[in-house]
Amino acid sequence: MADWSMDELHEWDKKICTLGAGLGLDWYPIEYEICDYKEMIGHMAYTGLPTHYRHWSFGKSFDRIQTEYNLGMSGLPYEMIINSNPSISYLMTENPMATHILTMAHCVGHSDFFKNNRMFSETGPDTVIDRFKNAGKRVKKYMEDPNIGVEAVEKILDACHTIRFQVPRTSGVKRRSHKEMKEYYGKLILNDKTGWYNKFNINKIPLEPDTNVLAFIADNNRFLEEWQKDLIRIVEQESHYFVPQACTKIMNEGWACMIHEKIVNAVGIPDDYFLSFIRLHNQVVRPHLGRVNPYHLGFKIFKYIEKNHGFDECLRIRETHNDETFIKSYLNEELCKELNLFSYSFSQKEGYNKITDVSGEDSWRTVRDDLIKNIGLNSIPVVMVSELQRDGTLVLKHEHDGRDLELSEANKVFEHINELWHGNVRFTTVIEDDLWEF
Amino acid sequence: MSTFKEHKTIADRAAADRSRHRKKIEEAIKESIKDVVAEESIIGQSGKKKIRIPVKGIKEHRFVYGSNENNKQVGSAQGKEIKEGQRIGHRRRTKPEEGQGDKAGNNPGEEMYEIEMSLEELAGYLFNDLELPELEKKNFKFTTQEKMKHKGKRPYGIRPRLSKKETIKQKIKRKKAAIKAGSYDPEGDERFPFHESDLRYKHIAPVFKENTAAVVFFVMDVSGSMDKSKKFLARSFFFLLYQFLNHKYSSIDVVFVSHTTEAYEVNEEQFFTQVPNGGTLVSSGLKKVEEIIEKRYHPNNWNIYTFYCGDGDNWGIDNSEALSAFRRLSEINQAMCYTEIGKMRGSSDYNLFSGVQVDKSLWDWTKLAEGKTLKRVRLQKSKDIWPAFKKLFGGKT
Repeated sequence: MADWSMDELHEWDKKICTLGAGLGLDWYPIEYEICDYKEMIGHMAYTGLPTHYRHWSFGKSFDRIQTEYNLGMSGLPYEMIINSNPSISYLMTENPMATHILTMAHCVGHSDFFKNNRMFSETGPDTVIDRFKNAGKRVKKYMEDPNIGVEAVEKILDACHTIRFQVPRTSGVKRRSHKEMKEYYGKLILNDKTGWYNKFNINKIPLEPDTNVLAFIADNNRFLEEWQKDLIRIVEQESHYFVPQACTKIMNEGWACMIHEKIVNAVGIPDDYFLSFIRLHNQVVRPHLGRVNPYHLGFKIFKYIEKNHGFDECLRIRETHNDETFIKSYLNEELCKELNLFSYSFSQKEGYNKITDVSGEDSWRTVRDDLIKNIGLNSIPVVMVSELQRDGTLVLKHEHDGRDLELSEANKVFEHINELWHGNVRFTTVIEDDLWEF
Repeated sequence: MSTFKEHKTIADRAAADRSRHRKKIEEAIKESIKDVVAEESIIGQSGKKKIRIPVKGIKEHRFVYGSNENNKQVGSAQGKEIKEGQRIGHRRRTKPEEGQGDKAGNNPGEEMYEIEMSLEELAGYLFNDLELPELEKKNFKFTTQEKMKHKGKRPYGIRPRLSKKETIKQKIKRKKAAIKAGSYDPEGDERFPFHESDLRYKHIAPVFKENTAAVVFFVMDVSGSMDKSKKFLARSFFFLLYQFLNHKYSSIDVVFVSHTTEAYEVNEEQFFTQVPNGGTLVSSGLKKVEEIIEKRYHPNNWNIYTFYCGDGDNWGIDNSEALSAFRRLSEINQAMCYTEIGKMRGSSDYNLFSGVQVDKSLWDWTKLAEGKTLKRVRLQKSKDIWPAFKKLFGGKT
């Protein structure tokens, strides 16, 4: 049974908030929802958003989380917080007070990160809940429409989900329409004195390769009906909202861990909570053998910065960096060696994973760069629209960076894109140094 | 300051999506069964034997990088000794094992469910879904049969039919009532004996059961041109047909007829293992069927099904004879099928116009007899079996 009351929660929250403000943090007001484990599973399955649209894939992840939890294969997270204003967070009834204190301190860190990190500046936290609610309603409406129905809606959503991360990875860049692009390039050509644009084809669509495959399809596919375009845009908008989170996972978690450690150490918790706090904290920030635990990595780097440059520097960094620049700038030889980071890859000849580089005097840079290739959206191949031909053929291209696509998966995705586009899709990549067309 | 909300449990938001997902898995099971029906391990099994069926999980695909030397990952090993070139983790299979072809489940990350079902259940899964043509309702012939069946319990009867379980239930009922009424003290020493009125006997009464009977003729060409793989295909197809009819009828007779230039009635083993030799006269097999029908299975009492299987290689002079035999048979059969295994044979209609005298193949000949009862299907590989089957018995493909 719970060892706490609502009054206690308020009391601790007050102390935590005071300490947070004392650290110079600035966060959205937090709205804690007390829920039971089943609701927590529900929130997890629907990416935390209380108003998310329906799709079978969420039902699937619900079943999976629940089964794993019931079998004792995995626990449930202590903390889940949404980038919204106010920030919505969930506290599980079943958890003891010590866990709640840690969770609440952790949430202050996250909310502060959401509010200050520049990657999140375009995510619209004030309206996100309503936006998703609205999208959810529209999806429901289409599903209930006798002329559309669940299956037709799923067909579009299934296809969109396969390319949901084929969206721009930078934040705060406005999407320019084809007309605007044409004007822009028209001016460039007109004022061109260098001759760079002599061979530029102003009639090509798109004028620049478009990494926003979803938006391009919605804008240019003449076979699609309005409701279908709407569904595509719903998925695309959701990706825009989540991209910053994917790009700052290590920083965000590291920051929250550092904040919760600071707050809990200062908040004056009773002795009998202290042990459970230590245990929890160590569980969260422990290194995972053979993998990289983002909580651990982020926490270590922030601690290192604080030790060498002070907490104010940390505050500045949490505002301006993302995972890629964070690691590039602050993961140094000393840290790489301490964490004993190594690169490995799968050797098809031997059927084993083999270590390719360990963090040595020079090789630590290789390891660091390999790490950067795997964080956030860097682990997802970049596919872009290179041309829409006159006969309606959509030409897609995978930007090959040395890593080949998994063909079995790519084939399936290709089928979905083909269906979404109503046929006539060409897609090229490089497999084992040769051009490959699907 | 933060705010706290105690959330009242609302309706399970995931319920609808979970049921959608389960429905998709159900569909995947049906899909997988179709792949499984033609597999060697199933053919010839008895109805009770459990069969494991791999079902591909429903997954959202994405562009991902393949597992290979160029796709480097990073891990940490704090406090451990590691060196370059060291192997880590478990061995993974890189290529599907021989003989498994492109069967699912070998790709890393592929989600697989494995379900177990008996052949009977499997048949139910497969065949209940089929929209049978009206054929069944109109033409199935019924014979009625008297059968003794249990029909509840009653308070009198003969000793051997005493139902101990029901009797003791009655006693317990009476005892509880007595305790409630205060007439019996369960704590006391007094026994609570059986009473005559507690006794219950099983009741048996005759029922009339509609008995549907069918006979299936499997006719196969065992001449030299029918090699092992062709025979296997034929066998798989026959097996599926047998399972289907068995599922629909309460009793079923199977007659195997193999023919070269002459036809013989053989048993199942001989049918599939006979060493091929000799030429082919398709009509001989069909005539044999007619002969057997005349002797043992009168069309008024039996639902008759004839499935012919061959590779279309027939002696030219026999084609018209075979056609008339097909025609005669199709009049007394519920359903018939001419199954040709292998590729389309050379001669076809256009040769007729080229002025060169070319014999039409049996495939073309049988087209003339095709109708509601007689269907033609062509099997080239085991994947064709299920679509062919659907073609015969309706339903969506």
